[in-house]
Amino acid sequence: MRRSRELARRVVARGAAQVSLAWLATLVVLAVLAPVLPIDPLAQDLLAELEGPSAAHWFGTDELGRDIMARVIYGARTSLMTAAGAVAIAGAVGVPIGLMAGFFGGWRDAVLMRLIDVLLALPGILLAMAIIAVVGRSQAAALLAVGITGIPSFARITRAQVLSLRKRDFVVAVEALGGSAAYTMFRTVLPNSWSPILVQVVVLSSVAILLEAALAFLGIGIPPPTPSWGEMLRTGKTYLYEAPTYAVLPGLVLTLTILSLDMLGRVMASVLEDRHEIEEPAALQGGRP
Amino acid sequence: MSRRMTFRTGLATSLVAAAFTVSVAAEAFAQDLRPGRIRVGMLADINDFDPMAFSTVNFPTIKNLYDSLIEYTPEGRAIPNLAESWTIAPDNRSVTLTLRADVKFHSGAPFDAEAVSATLRKANDPRAGKNVYPTMSIVQEWAVVDPRTIRITFRNPAPTRQITDLLQFISVIDPAAIENVSTRPVGTGPYVLAERAVGQRVRLEANRSHWRASQPLSPEVVLTVFENDAAATAALESGAVDLVYGTTGRSAVRLRAAGYQVVEGPGPLVQVFRINSTRGPFRNQTFRQAFNHLIDRAGILRVGYAGLGEVTALPWAPASPAHDPSYAQRYAYDLDKGRALIQRSGLPQAEISNWKLLVNGGEEASVRISQIVQASLARVGINIELDLKQGAEFIDALLTGKFDAVFGAVGNVQKFPTRLTTNSIYRTVNNPILGEPNPHPEYVEAIRRVDTTLGPEDAVKAAYDNLNRVLVETAFGIPTNSYPIGLIVASPRVGGFTLDIDNMLVARTLGFKP
Repeated sequence: MRRSRELARRVVARGAAQVSLAWLATLVVLAVLAPVLPIDPLAQDLLAELEGPSAAHWFGTDELGRDIMARVIYGARTSLMTAAGAVAIAGAVGVPIGLMAGFFGGWRDAVLMRLIDVLLALPGILLAMAIIAVVGRSQAAALLAVGITGIPSFARITRAQVLSLRKRDFVVAVEALGGSAAYTMFRTVLPNSWSPILVQVVVLSSVAILLEAALAFLGIGIPPPTPSWGEMLRTGKTYLYEAPTYAVLPGLVLTLTILSLDMLGRVMASVLEDRHEIEEPAALQGGRP
Repeated sequence: MSRRMTFRTGLATSLVAAAFTVSVAAEAFAQDLRPGRIRVGMLADINDFDPMAFSTVNFPTIKNLYDSLIEYTPEGRAIPNLAESWTIAPDNRSVTLTLRADVKFHSGAPFDAEAVSATLRKANDPRAGKNVYPTMSIVQEWAVVDPRTIRITFRNPAPTRQITDLLQFISVIDPAAIENVSTRPVGTGPYVLAERAVGQRVRLEANRSHWRASQPLSPEVVLTVFENDAAATAALESGAVDLVYGTTGRSAVRLRAAGYQVVEGPGPLVQVFRINSTRGPFRNQTFRQAFNHLIDRAGILRVGYAGLGEVTALPWAPASPAHDPSYAQRYAYDLDKGRALIQRSGLPQAEISNWKLLVNGGEEASVRISQIVQASLARVGINIELDLKQGAEFIDALLTGKFDAVFGAVGNVQKFPTRLTTNSIYRTVNNPILGEPNPHPEYVEAIRRVDTTLGPEDAVKAAYDNLNRVLVETAFGIPTNSYPIGLIVASPRVGGFTLDIDNMLVARTLGFKP
């Protein structure tokens, strides 16, 4: 806990992380408060289609006269929920797989990693499309598809981290004192593996949002009228002549969100690297990492 | 109030634009045009050269490579073509055609009654006849009287318009070329095939021995395939093509405002909210009738089709003899009337929302108009989900009735009214959606009455009126609007447009303004 707080303190101290966190926090607050805001993403006004930005509609209106800003804000709910759900699925499946593969090694490692290799060999978008083709279009399907494509990255990162810890003195000591395999894995190795996994959470969130948007852009994402940034981009490109802001503004919000998550992930990775460089001598001397 | 005024202004603008559209064609004929190389952009490659494969992707070539026995004016009046005259027997059981004597096929072979007979044989074959085959169902037999005369006999007395529809549908093929017509077209049309690069272009050259005096005007037509509408219209704006065939309504409206010509033919499609009356709450007729008032037709026309077309409560184009615009007023969008009919249906609240609207996810207009309907229905307490399907999955659901309701366009709405029954939901027998026997016997009877009422004129009109009344009462198909297919947007330099009743591309009169 102390180390996590320290990591957070170091991350927040970086300027790039501050900007990213500010954007993401704004987005989260708007997404959470959307139902109590005086906006309706579904209200149509067919006589006010494709209007440009105005005092009444800050981002303009879409082809059905719906307020684009309201749809962008509700679209954030869609994107963030998809990201959270996908990360939860990927983490819940990928982390235990990586943990077991790295901890036990041998044939179990080989079997589990070959399964992961199979998943990894399939392009994420293709795999997601196949899943949606089987289960149909819905928010749950998009979330599941994006989550499954994220499993390999969690499994591999966890395995790599476990392999680096497996023969460390504190792990060997727990085993020597009679700690069971489950105890050693979940109470000793896993708590010391969280840092790179946390970075992966941020990275996968960005990938998940982008993948959900890509699926919607291809017309196989969450079905309308549920607002989705990718769907807005897809429809907005049809009206680039009449209403350029229709595609540009949701695209800008999507870009800023992906940039913020990537930036945050890079800062976290960089902070972790700095910490390893400092702590490595201590580890070599047999101290706790 | 200002929005209403804007809407009215928009409507007025549309009417002026429509008048402009019509005047474009009229004006072009009056001008002296010079020949040139006509460069046409099209949004999909053609499938084949068989004039009986009446697919819209083949529309750019059919009227240029082939001639039909007769033609229709844009108003729907039958006029001579390869048949210089025709006589319908007093009992309407046969028609005798007198063929032109001065016509040759592209191969040099003479056009005669034997050639027409060979084409009719192909049309009468369930496999080879393709889209023409169902129309041949009225034909019992035919006989070559002499090289310039052929007589077609019908199974039952056939209405005049049904007979002329058949004749207009028959494009004559050189008998020696029928076997390979899909790849090697040999007709009597104003152009011959010079080159085809699959997926890229089709090049046509003038038929020097064509029978129409001074036609074709231009010696060459090059049809170039474009990936999408944006690419095709960009090519038009850059001057790389002279016209785009089959563009979208939205592009047409934008380019019209920029000074380009928009040519709209008389053969539109009609969008129909198809209801599977064998499922869920739709078994209730009063509930179905509510949908006559629950769909914002004007909104659909405006948002889905850029205002090109007209709102309609019946599945007819203006050129159809059964067209009756008064129904659009009588069955206008009125949520209160719709709500009252829902209440009269006696269905519980839970049941009226117990269905899904199937949507063609690959067609943007369908996605848009389905959302309009979804929002309108929500206002009267019908909360439904959209069931988006694409490609083969959608087509399968549409044609086999695996849906509660769906939007789907119907064609042939400018011809004899019972041609409507070639569309799946409107079939009277072997209906793939509503099953067998047809659950709407009053509709089947109304179609039979139209098919068998030969005259006098007021009796025919009464049969049409009866069909229209039955269509809105049975309400298994709720027409919303017509919209153009084969829409042409052309450079201001191009003139000489000939409007085809089926909106096919007719290039023989095209040329360039001085």
